Amino acid sequence: MLSVEVPAIEKYNEGRDPGFRIAVTRVGGSLVLGYTLKPCHNPYRLETRLLSSYPTVPPETRIVSPMKHCPHLLEGQTICLWRQGSTRAASRWDPAKFTCIFAVQAAWRWLACYEVWHETGEWPLPEAK
Amino acid sequence: MQRNRSLTGTARQTVMHLFQVGAGSGGIVVLDLLARDPRITTITLVEPDVYSERNVHRHAFPSSAAGRLKGEAAAEWVRERRADVEVNVLVADLTDPAMLGIFEERASVCDVGVCAVDNEAAKYAFDALMRKAGKSWSLGEVLSGGIGGWVHRFTPNGPCYGCVASHLQRTVTEAPEAPAPDYANPGAALAETTIPASKASIEVIASLHASITLDMLAGTVAEFTSLLFTLQRVPGVFDEAYRPFRFTIAKSEECLFCSTIPAAEAGEDLDVALDQALARLGND
Repeated sequence: MLSVEVPAIEKYNEGRDPGFRIAVTRVGGSLVLGYTLKPCHNPYRLETRLLSSYPTVPPETRIVSPMKHCPHLLEGQTICLWRQGSTRAASRWDPAKFTCIFAVQAAWRWLACYEVWHETGEWPLPEAK
Repeated sequence: MQRNRSLTGTARQTVMHLFQVGAGSGGIVVLDLLARDPRITTITLVEPDVYSERNVHRHAFPSSAAGRLKGEAAAEWVRERRADVEVNVLVADLTDPAMLGIFEERASVCDVGVCAVDNEAAKYAFDALMRKAGKSWSLGEVLSGGIGGWVHRFTPNGPCYGCVASHLQRTVTEAPEAPAPDYANPGAALAETTIPASKASIEVIASLHASITLDMLAGTVAEFTSLLFTLQRVPGVFDEAYRPFRFTIAKSEECLFCSTIPAAEAGEDLDVALDQALARLGND
């Protein structure tokens, strides 16, 4: 955490507008990253939770801002980012390569897709259909 | 490899400690084959599960063992064949943080580790334990449907499980293309996890796993990191059945687990450093 994730978060925050920086809080045995993303026109407030089993278990990201229901939005406004496979081959999260910033970037991409879907009714990433 | 040695009379006898996690349908085969090796004199087995009726058709234990802890039944299995072997069973989940100290102590005194579990979190946890202890270990994996399987061997200075998993995830097709996630039931297991492997295919891969582990105990120099052995021809996955593929996977310089990133402080210093970092990052 200290040697990998904290420097990655600090690098992300460096030079960024204060309103879009990541703030980290400890909640029980988890760390919660709170931040705002604005992929297109609308800003969204998000939380990414790093469980005690992180990074083996991928981070969970939920959108705090109210959302219109869409097929890729799970219970509790958790966004579907990582395929829930039980095996190495079926998993999209690579704990040896990804930091929590990858999860933030993936959330940004998801939100961009959401805005396209909101306008067109089509989710623009075919592999997620 | 560090070896414990004791003197019996005037002859030197090698005494070795096996640290195994998992005694499922594959793990019991590996345990049985390794426990028969006279060099093995102590076994630590981590296995939290209870043996159930649905395990019977693929497991070495009889149906009469249903309802018993797998670890206890496995210890009995070993003692019936090697009364001289000390078997210590830890009925615990390898990812349980409350048990970490005990697992670390067991890892520090073992000669070789065997990972025979089928969940990713436990594989990473075992890798972390063995790397911290500086011990070699092996991992066996039967592919969904029993179409083949892997045996990986890990050394303290070689690539970690993260390096291997990351490499294989990007370069090797291990299964037919999976269906898209079911958004109507996102918590459900994907169909690929429900295709059982036959007992025969499990035993082939488990036997390879045991054989490679015995090579490690003998100090044989590794000619590969990972061995893939196919058991079926599967279009788009394996062109032939019964074909071995050897992979030598280098340690990734960018690996977040085992690269040369400086280690953080330990113990109380670590808590203080984390608190300081959170204080820096805690302002909205």
